[in-house]
Amino acid sequence: MMEKELNGIRVERFQAILDSMRDDPQVLQAVTGPWKSRIVWQGGLKTKAYMRKHVVDMDEPEGLDAQDSAASAHEQLLSAVGTCLTVGFVINATKRGIKIHDLEVALEGNFENILKWAGHSQTGNPGYPAIKAKLFVRADADEATLRELWKLAYEGSPVAQTVARPTQILTEFEAI
Amino acid sequence: MKHSEAHLEGEGRGMRQSKLFPVSVVGSWSRPPWLVQALRRRQAGEISSEEFNRIADDAVLAAVKYQEDAGVDIVTDGEMRRDNFYSFVVEKISGMKLMKVSELLDYMKDRAAFEEILRALDVPAFAIKSPIAVDKIRARDGLTLDELDFLKEHTTRQTKIPLPGPYLLTRSSWFEGLSDSVYPTREDLATDVVQILRGEVLALQARGVDFIQFDEPSLSQVVYGEEAEQTFMCAALGSRRDPSEELEFAVDLINQTVKGISGVKFGVHICRGNWSRKEEVLLRGNYGPLLPYLMRMQVDQLVLEMATPRAGELEVFKEYRNEKEIGVGVVNPRTDDIEDPQAIVRRVKEVLRFFDPERITLNPDCGFGTFAERCVNTAEIAYRKLKAISAAAAILRREYTH
Repeated sequence: MMEKELNGIRVERFQAILDSMRDDPQVLQAVTGPWKSRIVWQGGLKTKAYMRKHVVDMDEPEGLDAQDSAASAHEQLLSAVGTCLTVGFVINATKRGIKIHDLEVALEGNFENILKWAGHSQTGNPGYPAIKAKLFVRADADEATLRELWKLAYEGSPVAQTVARPTQILTEFEAI
Repeated sequence: MKHSEAHLEGEGRGMRQSKLFPVSVVGSWSRPPWLVQALRRRQAGEISSEEFNRIADDAVLAAVKYQEDAGVDIVTDGEMRRDNFYSFVVEKISGMKLMKVSELLDYMKDRAAFEEILRALDVPAFAIKSPIAVDKIRARDGLTLDELDFLKEHTTRQTKIPLPGPYLLTRSSWFEGLSDSVYPTREDLATDVVQILRGEVLALQARGVDFIQFDEPSLSQVVYGEEAEQTFMCAALGSRRDPSEELEFAVDLINQTVKGISGVKFGVHICRGNWSRKEEVLLRGNYGPLLPYLMRMQVDQLVLEMATPRAGELEVFKEYRNEKEIGVGVVNPRTDDIEDPQAIVRRVKEVLRFFDPERITLNPDCGFGTFAERCVNTAEIAYRKLKAISAAAAILRREYTH
């Protein structure tokens, strides 16, 4: 018999993986981390981010006299939040047997005081004080259920919760 | 000036024009939820086209009944079998594929500008679909012949078939990266689009349709839209060039489509968006920039939005007095308020400064359900709005017929 697939996910296999995170300390250790990224400067404002076998280019917009050859880090942060929320929504929907037809998340944020980044200001938050994430979804469930899944996705999202909470960044340094 | 009904007989290209100020509709009717459900099931492959059409038959009958009861003289089938006013052709034309804008994002040239439009309208890219030419296009068994046959079987009123115009169909269907392997240029695709529409027009005419309306809403985007090369406003998904070049292209395509065909009335419908109840997101501006081109289209009637201030001042018609018939949009399909017949009469009297009574048809600004899943009104309100138009038409007839 063919294994049941929903939303592009093999349901039983996936549930078994989720269960093993609870039941098998080794699995839990593997998914807990450490997660890694190495950023290698490419000249100008460009970088490459190496994550396991993957490479993502990052650059800054042309307005900053950069080449705009790739999305910037602050945009990719929005994308990371949106992607993590999407994954969480899909997992929760799939666990409940809800078929998703279409899903988009539109994110946006405004920096509070970008002058600090630019070196013209000593105080304030150069980052996003808030990020708006709007879900558009068409799925086989009533609106209340879908709203609940969206809430679960947010509450359980490692990336969204990292951004939403005070997170320590332990900066270290070595000159070579 | 008084006009007798007698000298209206035989006006137009063979259409029966029996009374002044006939009432018509632009095309689409509000879809009942069970029809939308059936449409989704058909699109998901859960029911066949035949099954869907049996369900849609009931919806058409209801839409026709509403129109007849409201006193509409020239009726449509409410476009109840269509997903929207133009994308339905994907099932009638081989070589076309219905694609979501979310699938087209990878091929778009100016994604950032497009993103701004999505944000402004607060809609997801997956909700907008467009037929894209991905292979040589060929009509299967006609685009709307089934619609007309069923409609004529169930009404004795005059019939109107709205067709996607050749410019709209060409512009929305040609997409660089997807269409150019078969049609290197948009003009190459246009040749086949015109051929298909011409065949359709001839077949509809042979079956006795009274009015064929070409929907060309993307023309208003050419004139009034932002500078963005690509927009889905009014289905104008494909890239556009300089406005005058686009408008010349549209005139040429319409004229090629109708050339030498008589025995049916032709109209062109222009509007500035019917997807949202937020007036501020819809396009605005008077018809001045469009009229030199519209007047050169070999069609009898211009079916225009005129019920909201977005349509601009009517003075622009001054130099085109009586050059065409005019389908005057007198109710806003996107509001809950029912227009006052006296207010409609006053609006029509403004139009009467530039067009004689026998050249005027009354209709709503646009359809009530241009997009099946995004109908702008309920059938009940649509019905009451049509009744208001009929009441206004009756007042006008009393005044202008002797």
